Amino acid sequence: MTAYYAQLLVNGIIAGSIYAMFAVGLAMVYGVFKFINFSHGELITWGAYLTLMFSSPPFSLPVYISIVPALLITVGIGLAQDRFVYRPLRQSNPIAILIASIGLSYMLRNGIRLCWGSDLHTFDLPLSTGILLGGVYITKIQILMMLSALLFFCILYFLLTRTLLGKSLRAVSDNIELSAIMGINMKKVTWTIWVLASVFAGSGGILLALDTSLDPMMGMNSLIKAFAAVLLGGAGNVWGALIGGLFIGIAENLSVAFISPDYKDFISYALIFILLLFKPRGFFGIAGGVR
Amino acid sequence: MDYLYHILIISLIYSIFAQSLNLELGFTGLYNFGHIAFFGIGAYTSALLSLNGVPIPLAVIGAITLAGVAGALLAIPTLRLSGDYFGIATLVFAEMIHLVFLNERDITRGPMGLPNIPRPEWIGSGISSLPPFLIVTFAAAAVTFILLRRITNSPYGRSLKVIREDEFVAQALGKNTSLIKTKAIVTGSAFAGLAGVIWAHYITYISPSDFTLQETILVLLCVVLGGKGTHFGPVVGAFVIIFFAEFIRFIPIPSEYIRFVAPLQGMVYGFILVIMMLKRPQGLIPESRKFTTTNA
Repeated sequence: MTAYYAQLLVNGIIAGSIYAMFAVGLAMVYGVFKFINFSHGELITWGAYLTLMFSSPPFSLPVYISIVPALLITVGIGLAQDRFVYRPLRQSNPIAILIASIGLSYMLRNGIRLCWGSDLHTFDLPLSTGILLGGVYITKIQILMMLSALLFFCILYFLLTRTLLGKSLRAVSDNIELSAIMGINMKKVTWTIWVLASVFAGSGGILLALDTSLDPMMGMNSLIKAFAAVLLGGAGNVWGALIGGLFIGIAENLSVAFISPDYKDFISYALIFILLLFKPRGFFGIAGGVR
Repeated sequence: MDYLYHILIISLIYSIFAQSLNLELGFTGLYNFGHIAFFGIGAYTSALLSLNGVPIPLAVIGAITLAGVAGALLAIPTLRLSGDYFGIATLVFAEMIHLVFLNERDITRGPMGLPNIPRPEWIGSGISSLPPFLIVTFAAAAVTFILLRRITNSPYGRSLKVIREDEFVAQALGKNTSLIKTKAIVTGSAFAGLAGVIWAHYITYISPSDFTLQETILVLLCVVLGGKGTHFGPVVGAFVIIFFAEFIRFIPIPSEYIRFVAPLQGMVYGFILVIMMLKRPQGLIPESRKFTTTNA
């Protein structure tokens, strides 16, 4: 019985590390530009589908190489979102940006449907067998998922705390006007945020797709989880998003032991509701800021 | 001709739905992204009641009431949230309702949906029922239009607009803003329920996949395109969108390309939303910014 719970816990950590990768980009964009980017989910989907595209004919690259052009294009999509939609709207009211991001997300999602159809796809990989570690089954891809999440967060930590760029990122999310007055290069900071958000979302999407499958709704479904993670960690807080993501993943997977698996998604929805109502600043109530 | 009746009925149903969203989104500034939940609650309640032998008029009243009550239940906790957080909470609410429709198989039959939803005897079924159904739908849309127009032109309607422009001002003027907003959501939800009821009895088959984010985006598009905060805007928006969607079917498309139509249509909808926000956020019919007190 303990093995059963341990298995659920491990599943939760795996799912949670991916949610955390999705949540980071959302939290950073929220922290600086103060809007919820609905089309963030579509970066997840596009990252995964583009990898599928480069790894199948006519390109037929090995999966680990096709990740590179896929991520480059995902970053391109992220930057284009900012350049053509969010930057022109920066001075208008936040609701206009929200509606625009919903529209953008719908457009990109249907773009996926147009190119690849609505059916499930999987990567043409040999079935990875599980390894039994102390009563818990785990596949190589799942280990890869956890290691990549760890690596990404280490790089992010280094970037935010040890570089000048990271310092300006933190300053901008603290107070965008004051930072601009102090001569921080806003273009560079904006650019960095979108690149980071796209890379995290795209890589997370690829890892998720390697473990499960690809479908056009994967981004939207993950986005709601990521949003729950962001709320849990306190909006605009990168480290909160990491812990929030892990928490959501574990809570969701452990819930299977107690309630019907049909209602697995209900957990994160209910959590969003409860958090919004009682703890809108998150459990790590550091007000705003990429810290 | 029969097909035209069909398009008109669907457009009128969507115009009711869009007007109800407009009361919240356009007049009060409450960004409800889960409005489809109330449409769904209305449709499912009326369908389930009438399938279990409750007379249709009673089922309709029950459905509208339940949609309104659900609106109150959503409004009371979420109204303390502002702007985008309210949007997220409502979106999540709609997803939760969708999951309930999908998973409470004993009641809703889950993904199989509810077939053979009855209609009143005097309307009947088949092609001959289209004109009377059109009249009923038109009457409902007209009642919705007149009632919502009266509400929004009344002193209460003006306080909604004040809340939209600046909630603190409304509070400073001694308005109980949360009560006013709750009333707006209950009214909006009840009318959304009405739209859902008519839809369920018109299509006679409902399933959880009819009540998803996609429909929320469609109705949002109707309101934003037509012009939020106006009386005619959502009606015009609904007619434009539904006629556009239906007339695409008449374009001769080779059968091997037919699967590209729905995604392309979705891309166009998304694109219109983005372009409207960038170029014409006020919609086709802009709201008059004059403060008039005599046009009630």
